[in-house]
Amino acid sequence: MDLNTDAIAISDLHKYYGRFHALQGINLTIRKGEKVVVCGPSGSGKSTLIRCINQLEEHDAGDIRVFGTLLDDNVGSIDEIRREVGMVFQHFNLFPHMTVLENCTLAPTLVRKISRAEAEKTAMRFLEKVRIPDQAHKFPGQLSGGQQQRVAIARALCMQPHILLFDEPTSALDPEMIAEVLDVMVSLATEGMTMVCVTHEMGFARKVADRVIFMDKGEIVEEAPPEEFFSAPKNERSKLFLAQVLGH
Amino acid sequence: MTLATDFRPRHSRLYRLRRAYFASPLTGLVTLLSVAILAWLAWIVLDWTVLQATFDADANQAICAERAGACWSVIANRWRIILFGLYPLDEQWRAGVACAVVALVIVLSCLPLMWRFSRLALVWVLGTAVFYTLMRGGIFGLVPVNEQQWGGLPLTLFIFVATGILGMPLAIGLALMRRSELPVIARVSGWIIDTIRSLPLLAILFTCAIVLPFMLPGFLIGEKLYRVIFGAALFFAAYQAEIIRGGFQGIPRGQEEAAKALGLGYWQRMGKVVLPQAFRLALPATINQFVIAFMETSLVVVVGFMELLAASNTAFRTGEWRFAYIEVYVFISAIYFAFVFGLSRYGAWLEARMSAGQRKD
Amino acid sequence: MDRASFWRSKTIRDGVLQAAFLAALIGLVLTAVLTARANLAAQGLTSGFDFLWKSTGWEMNFTLLHSERDDPYWYFLLLGLMNTLFMGTIGLAGASVIGLVVGLMRSGRNPAARLLGTLYIELFRNLPLIVQLFFWYALANALPNPRQAIEFAGAIISSRGIYVPGLTVTSGAVALAVAALLIGAALAIWIATARRFRRMERQRQRGAALMAFGLAALVAVIALVTGHDSTQPWTTFPAVDGLRVSGGFRIQPEFYCLAIAIMTYGGAYIGEIVRGGFKAVGRGQMEASRALGLSNWQVFTQVQMPLAFRAMLPILINQYVWLIKATTLGIAVGFSDFFMVIASSINHSGQTIEFISILVGGFLFINFSLAAILNRLNRAIALKGHQTGGAA
Ligand SMILES: Nc1ncnc2c1ncn2[C@@H]1O[C@H](COP(=O)(O)OP(=O)(O)O)[C@@H](O)[C@H]1O
Ligand SMILES: [Mg+2]
Repeated sequence: MDLNTDAIAISDLHKYYGRFHALQGINLTIRKGEKVVVCGPSGSGKSTLIRCINQLEEHDAGDIRVFGTLLDDNVGSIDEIRREVGMVFQHFNLFPHMTVLENCTLAPTLVRKISRAEAEKTAMRFLEKVRIPDQAHKFPGQLSGGQQQRVAIARALCMQPHILLFDEPTSALDPEMIAEVLDVMVSLATEGMTMVCVTHEMGFARKVADRVIFMDKGEIVEEAPPEEFFSAPKNERSKLFLAQVLGH
Repeated sequence: MTLATDFRPRHSRLYRLRRAYFASPLTGLVTLLSVAILAWLAWIVLDWTVLQATFDADANQAICAERAGACWSVIANRWRIILFGLYPLDEQWRAGVACAVVALVIVLSCLPLMWRFSRLALVWVLGTAVFYTLMRGGIFGLVPVNEQQWGGLPLTLFIFVATGILGMPLAIGLALMRRSELPVIARVSGWIIDTIRSLPLLAILFTCAIVLPFMLPGFLIGEKLYRVIFGAALFFAAYQAEIIRGGFQGIPRGQEEAAKALGLGYWQRMGKVVLPQAFRLALPATINQFVIAFMETSLVVVVGFMELLAASNTAFRTGEWRFAYIEVYVFISAIYFAFVFGLSRYGAWLEARMSAGQRKD
Repeated sequence: MDRASFWRSKTIRDGVLQAAFLAALIGLVLTAVLTARANLAAQGLTSGFDFLWKSTGWEMNFTLLHSERDDPYWYFLLLGLMNTLFMGTIGLAGASVIGLVVGLMRSGRNPAARLLGTLYIELFRNLPLIVQLFFWYALANALPNPRQAIEFAGAIISSRGIYVPGLTVTSGAVALAVAALLIGAALAIWIATARRFRRMERQRQRGAALMAFGLAALVAVIALVTGHDSTQPWTTFPAVDGLRVSGGFRIQPEFYCLAIAIMTYGGAYIGEIVRGGFKAVGRGQMEASRALGLSNWQVFTQVQMPLAFRAMLPILINQYVWLIKATTLGIAVGFSDFFMVIASSINHSGQTIEFISILVGGFLFINFSLAAILNRLNRAIALKGHQTGGAA
């Protein structure tokens, strides 16, 4: 693992679900510290793509390198990459049988072998960062959706990852809670975290993204800085998509 | 609905009684019949167990026969055989204490406070160790008592506890294997589970007790009791594995994915994320399975063990108490009933508590 | 590839793990088979299934068809299997009837009936089946001996068994007749209800069903007539004859005790399942049918029963499979079911591996065919399409 190379380098990535060709030759390089927003119609393969990066899905062909480490058949490389890549899910996926604090300290103590006291200190720091330190001893079921998603972000941060993947982090939230989560994400972005976000929050994309990637039918159709993408999309399908998303 | 009842005029008690019991000629008939049967049953039971019964410990058949009710003298004379089988008379206090230890273990595991894997494992292993030391003896100045002399309630409890201790890890193993990503392991363990489940427990016990010695190399044969316990544990595990699998199915996929994304390894994911949640979901069914396992300990009578049922059979089959079999069966039924009813009530209470907790979230 | 990375390869690890698992299993089975063979050889026995055609040299105390000591093993196994299925059918039918009654009592609105149902279920469900079986058997053995036997409605009840009036027909003929009637009834029900025949006119459909059953009944009568010894009268009545009972048809204590135990115990479990089924019927459907003006009875038979039955069938299937397995308890009192035949055969012949595989095969066959039939029924009657509503 070499922190001076590109954070993520994907070349000619293919993924099949049975006979369905979900990713059809993806090429994508993300530099360290870059913020990339991935968008596209539902079913276009956005989730599949970012889940390949931490191997929640096994890819069928092509190379994925994370900080130079090739994701191959080697068991060690997957473990190594999952330690360094955090992920935030659409449905939070907090562990309901653990308190917020336990959710946050679980992986650091088990995977990084940090002492409990230290892990709790780190966890409190990140819970403060996402502005819910007072909820540390509650269970996820006792929190609102927005709070849960912020806990999920804190949980991912506690592993002190170099890259954070977001898979539609706000689409399961009520409108009034979206802002509180986006705020946290924006502040993360300003601190230099490498971020790959699948989201349809175009305001967020405009504000923080270095690049917007538009996917359709398992391919990257368009790739551009946000101003360019929103003001002058080149591709027909991106135009149609933008009209639908922004039209609402 | 609830709103409407608030405005309804209140009816007299008589009216409500009549509505519940005599709304139509048919319900009236059902009521009369049920009440008659209930009263008749209550009278027979009361009459037989108390009013006409003989409580004198020194009574014999002739004295008992003078009265029409139960002859409880048989219990007074035979309770040691029923409860402890052929365990040496002078050492029976040890068997009694051992039973109390097991009862304590069971009560402890019912307390939510104890629901940590480590605590449960500790209590059960420790309890079994104390039980075994007490029963078997040979150390701490206790006279050694061979397993073949064990009998009655301690043997029943030992088989039950040992089945649980052995069966539960086996069940977890089978359940994990059945959901393995490795197709051969998943498929084959699925076959094993399904096959065991379609066999009758009695056939498995019989195979273990009588047939297995022909099929195992000498050093693996071991004591018959432990072979039978192994068979019971295997059967328990096959059923419990399916219960745990039901628990797995209730956990959203995202839970394991989140654990993977955090970098947790397989055993960490299973131990900290998947299994705790699966067990919570499967708790009522698990308790039910334990209840069934307890009742099924009585099947070992068929392969020649002196557990509670067999011991009580010998208690009345010897000469003078031959006539008093009903009393003996009522006595051990009360023991079984207390245990089984208590545990299943507890399970029902837990289920209600859990579903109430779910609604709150 | 160096050694470290060889072991870190996921493909190789997975492959090795699975191979090791299979090897361990095969090793276990092989050890068992080889040891058993060696033990057999030491006793001068050969392995293989040739012994199936040897005669057994012992007797079965309960058979549906004629049997004697010299019959071969395969025939005894067949008789045992028939006994298991026979006991299973009777047990399941009785348990279902009891279960339906107590389940209805438990879900009704009449508190007295509810209490009675609850008492029944809690009593019979919370005691081990084998304890109940022993109790019934002890009770049956404590009945008066034939000399003082109780006579009741033409039957003679004694410790040797219950003697009832019967037909003087060979058991094989009776078995054939019963089988014919059952097949006929099944055929008739199928014709009367199956979708395939929906397009037929109602009249003709009914006619066809009746015809099928009539044909079966004819076969049954012919079977009975051919099986009847013409030198004797058609019926036989039991009578006390000194120390024993002569004539009539004897129902052995082993048989009826096991049947009673399975029925009462199973009935308690099925009662709970029935209650669960009724609870699962949505309030809305009941209210809707009342609003349509259906009478209580109509609501019950047309809406509540069919919906409840669909809700409980999947659980009922498991319970039935369980109850069939419970027939093996026959060995505790000496009813020769399939398992008891196997157990005695092992004792007499020493052919362990062979009989264990027959045992496993037999029960897999029984369970899978029962489950297959019931699952088919379940699929046939299951509500089609996506369901909304139901019990909240
Ligand atoms: N586990 C799976 N099995 C089969 N097909 C899948 C699976 N996951 C996703 N797909 C299919 O792959 C395509 C891409 O899915 P996904 O990446 O989730 O799309 P997006 O996140 O862009 O909405 C969809 O057509 C989806 O139906
Ligand atoms: Mg998606």
